[in-house]
Amino acid sequence: MWRRFKRDRAGVVSAYVVIFFFAAALLAPVISWLYGKNPYTTYGIERPGLLNEFFYPAKPNGGIDSEFWFGLEPGLGRDVFTQLFYGMRTSLMIATATTVLCVVTGILIGVTAGYLGGRTDYFLGRFIDLLLAFPSQLSFVAFTPVVYALFVSPEKETPTYLRVITLIIVMWALGWMGLARILRGQVLSLREREFVEAAKVTGASPWRIIRKELLPNLWTPLLVQSTLMLPTFVTVEAGLSFLGVGIIEPTPDWGRMFAAGARHYENDITYMFFPGIAMVIFVVAFNLLGDSVRDAFDPKTKR
Amino acid sequence: MLRFLVRRSLGALVIIFLICAITFFLFFALPSEPALLACGKNCGDPALIEQINRNLGLHEPVPVQFWHYVVGIFAGRDMEVGNCPAPCLGYSFNDSQPVWETILDRYPTTLSLAFGGAAVFLVTGVAIGMIAAARRGTATDKFFSSLSLIGNSLQIYFIGVIAMWLFVDTWGVFDRPEYFPLTENPAKWFGGMLLPWLVLSIIFIANYSRMTRSQMIEQLNEEHVRTARAKGMSGRTVFFRYAWRGAIAPIVTIVGIDLGSLFGGAMITEFTFTLHGLGRLAVNSVTENDLPMLMGVMLFSCTAIVIANIVVDALYAYIDPRVRLS
Amino acid sequence: MRNRGRLGAVGLAVGALLLSACSSGGGGGGGNGNEPPKGPDKNRADNYSLGTKADSTGPAPEVPGSKKGGTVNVLQRDAFTYLDPAQIYYADQLTVQMLYNRSLTSYKIDEKGQVKLVGDLATDTGKVSDGGKTWTYTLKDNLKFEDGTPITSADVRQAVERLYAPWATDGPLYIPQWLSGEGQEFRKALPDGPYKGKHLPASVLDTPDEKTIVFHFQQPHADTPYAVAMPNIGAVPAKGGKDTGKNYNTRPVSSGPYKIETLKAGKQLTLVRNENWDPDSDPIRHQYPDRFDIRFGVQEPDSGRRLLADRGSDKNAMSFSNAVTIEVGPSVKNDAGTTSRTFNEVQPYVDYMAINMRRIKDKKVREALAYALPNGQILGQLGGPNAGQIAGNLLAPSLAGWKDSDPFGKKAKPNGDPVKARALLKEAGKEGQEIVYAYPNTTEYQKISVVVAQALDKAGFTVQKKEIDSNNYSTEISKVNKKIDIHRASWGADWPVGSTVVPPLFHGRGVADGGQNYWLLKDAGVDAEIDRIKGITDVKTASGEWVELSEEILTEHVPGVPIFYNRQWSIWGSGLGGVKYHSVYGTTDPTGVFVK
Repeated sequence: MWRRFKRDRAGVVSAYVVIFFFAAALLAPVISWLYGKNPYTTYGIERPGLLNEFFYPAKPNGGIDSEFWFGLEPGLGRDVFTQLFYGMRTSLMIATATTVLCVVTGILIGVTAGYLGGRTDYFLGRFIDLLLAFPSQLSFVAFTPVVYALFVSPEKETPTYLRVITLIIVMWALGWMGLARILRGQVLSLREREFVEAAKVTGASPWRIIRKELLPNLWTPLLVQSTLMLPTFVTVEAGLSFLGVGIIEPTPDWGRMFAAGARHYENDITYMFFPGIAMVIFVVAFNLLGDSVRDAFDPKTKR
Repeated sequence: MLRFLVRRSLGALVIIFLICAITFFLFFALPSEPALLACGKNCGDPALIEQINRNLGLHEPVPVQFWHYVVGIFAGRDMEVGNCPAPCLGYSFNDSQPVWETILDRYPTTLSLAFGGAAVFLVTGVAIGMIAAARRGTATDKFFSSLSLIGNSLQIYFIGVIAMWLFVDTWGVFDRPEYFPLTENPAKWFGGMLLPWLVLSIIFIANYSRMTRSQMIEQLNEEHVRTARAKGMSGRTVFFRYAWRGAIAPIVTIVGIDLGSLFGGAMITEFTFTLHGLGRLAVNSVTENDLPMLMGVMLFSCTAIVIANIVVDALYAYIDPRVRLS
Repeated sequence: MRNRGRLGAVGLAVGALLLSACSSGGGGGGGNGNEPPKGPDKNRADNYSLGTKADSTGPAPEVPGSKKGGTVNVLQRDAFTYLDPAQIYYADQLTVQMLYNRSLTSYKIDEKGQVKLVGDLATDTGKVSDGGKTWTYTLKDNLKFEDGTPITSADVRQAVERLYAPWATDGPLYIPQWLSGEGQEFRKALPDGPYKGKHLPASVLDTPDEKTIVFHFQQPHADTPYAVAMPNIGAVPAKGGKDTGKNYNTRPVSSGPYKIETLKAGKQLTLVRNENWDPDSDPIRHQYPDRFDIRFGVQEPDSGRRLLADRGSDKNAMSFSNAVTIEVGPSVKNDAGTTSRTFNEVQPYVDYMAINMRRIKDKKVREALAYALPNGQILGQLGGPNAGQIAGNLLAPSLAGWKDSDPFGKKAKPNGDPVKARALLKEAGKEGQEIVYAYPNTTEYQKISVVVAQALDKAGFTVQKKEIDSNNYSTEISKVNKKIDIHRASWGADWPVGSTVVPPLFHGRGVADGGQNYWLLKDAGVDAEIDRIKGITDVKTASGEWVELSEEILTEHVPGVPIFYNRQWSIWGSGLGGVKYHSVYGTTDPTGVFVK
């Protein structure tokens, strides 16, 4: 399997890219230490001449120079280079945590419902229906403040970790059902198949059947869905911080950067360029990696 | 089949009721006071706030309000603004318009956007997925996969405005997006919605092409498909009759989910293209603490989603006879 | 009145999701320029005066180059909540009502920006007697509603009396409160409004004949000519069952040059010519275009971009209140072709940083805050000097008798004075003082929170930033027991006299949940002074006193820090002429607009 994966050149390249992104995110503090800037200082405001009257970078190309490699942020004049790495750190952490939670929940509920069938399936199915019936975007906007209000005392600043947890909870609560439904559907048709029936006849425990017979057959949808899920959560999180319920300033955030870049692209296209290109590369690479892993996992795939 | 439909419809009613209740009570969990949005500069006067709360029916305990709301849907109710016949969803806190009529007015836009967009992303996505599956491992495969993924990684508020700028403002190849009723002028309706459909579909295509591709590859390797091929059936027949039939079920599932959510309004698309659908109504109802409107939109969108789900499940059984309806 | 421009932008940031087109690699211009846009300042107090009877006579002087016919397209961000003049208070709705609603008096603005208050339905700005308590207005001849019925004093009485009905909560309530009692007391005088056949007694509101209306106030009110310029002191048909109470909102009867053709709530409003409007009776309005086609839901970057692109039907388009935002600002400024179709003017709206005086009791600490705040940087996040002008004192420059003062040196040091602030804090022995700073959770205000926290930090404060869901922001900041030390607040004068700023903001009576005394200032001296100035029967004297009192409040009590005066930057299509600034409402005036 590993050998098969190594033969897939696109897969290997994608893997390196994805590893690079995660490494860069993890090493953000080191990078910024080496580079000698931090993502919080408002250089543009402190030093006159860096921003113009609209508070856009005064120099061409978004203020790129030997000091600010990726230029300056419009408005606050912070360093884009360090902002981007710290931002990736925040976004990838949230997206990864949410994905893991969703996958675990999806497997648990989807397989249980599909395998046990009957009443359990009915109630789990209706529970999934209930959550699926919530218009997700509207619910995020309308209900996230309620979750925040649960956590926060009215006087103190909301600690960043609470915001992170809230976001993960909110995205998780309305994010796992798609996967669960797909898995349920798959299990539903798998369990009628000969090899499962055979295992049942031989007296295998349900746990063993799920583990040995069903899960290996679920890898494909699982991988495809979760590789789509992680980058999607990155963009969903971007949307949320834009709707006023996400990670807020001054914590750097990749998604918010892209959204802000898209807003200012007319006057400062450079600012959109770095987070935008980074996000496109990340999403594409992550998905291609998923494809390659899928191919490698699948014993039936001919190469 | 009939039994299935009856049973699921009853279940759906329960779900809709629960969502309504959850929304209603969560609304009051927010630290907001709708009355303060209707008092101009006179808000400092508690007597006035009390008066407005009475006007809006907010002076009663929350469960009682919810009860009136539910009864109103079936039996109509008398409100401060006047009699509100069943199905009564109340009057907007914000502009005192009847919620039911406002939603009916906006729903055609949302439906047009959802169906048109779904048609585009379904056709394109499945086609790309099938081509990629047929040419698996080739440059064509990688090219299409990457292209749809790039689309997926972008955002509507970004591509939408770029598209508007290029295709409407600069080159003038598309009409400025606007909703015209289909029944009045189909050509204008099509012209006005085309750009939103295309842009909306871009972020969905990747999902479908990938699902199609992986399912097709899976199916092509299944015993019965291989047997069919071994029996000497043409590659085309095998591809479209056997493999495709097996691949369709998971795709139907995601279509159900996506269509359902689109029926609840496509907020960002509507804002980007200045369309007046349910999504915009929803956002405004949240920003304005407009409980009746929020409830109305929630009710409509979750009903749409629930119906879409029932249809998907019914289709599931039709596509894959091994699945028994229960 | 209230500004929905920037206050509304505090709403859900979906608007901010949307961006605009054209592209460049950034760049241009150097330095944190804080120079305001050039040109004569149309919003200065000496531009305002009371008009004479001659000024109040129609028709309005022809606009040079004007033509009849055509459709004016209007792009608006928010749908108009109210068309019923009784409920209108927001700037965008104040602007549109000028087209279909006439009040007893109105503002006449010439092309130089000179503002005169003149008689509109009335022949002049009112005759005063009984020591300022009784005001008499006479209606002009030949006034008609859109259906041709003549407008009589009974219709004006109807307009006033319907404000007593329980649903009339959102509009200005000056006149009914002056007639029948403060707060909500006045409603007891006529609990159902005029709808059950009852009327106010002649000793309160008298209509001795078809043309005369007499207001008998409980106290003298020198401001009456301004108060009757609010849209709800106009004419609403008393007969014919047209006044349907709260439901009148969907179809108000026109007394102006245009009438409502269709209203698609939340989407579109079209106005067409009212043939029964007599131009000879109207000193302010014209009737050039055939119709106004107003579309709602057009976000500000979108309208800015469309008007800048100037293509197709957008050539004949304008907006009442959408501003040129940061997304298109540089493009508009760099395009020399737009100078003839833009203006950038100071609005009567002031942004403050309110200080909670119940929590920050030490005046020295409040002074330290005032010195520390970085006005220029705050404004910078909203678009810089094109979006506003750094404020030195509590009153907008458009108020009568305004004086340019800057006790905390905000103009000289737009980034704050951390050294002085630190010294003051040390003097007070409150170094490291904790400050709970609340802001609405929107893109812009998140960024502003960064500069505010940074500046306060430098001055030696410890900042707790507290973001508030933008939907609930106004509720939270107007609670008396708020656990907030400083927060953003904003205010606009209803008319260009300090009486609509100082009493509502600084009288102890305003300390109530939902009240506008955001600083919770309760000072017997200030209250007494406010009551004294209210009794002055000469507007001019009173105006000067209001300015002095506001200065005294700022320096003696430091209830808050003035941050900036808002500016309105408007652009319209090249196919329109006669577009001008309405300095009282802070919006674009549509009354003289024509299609070229």
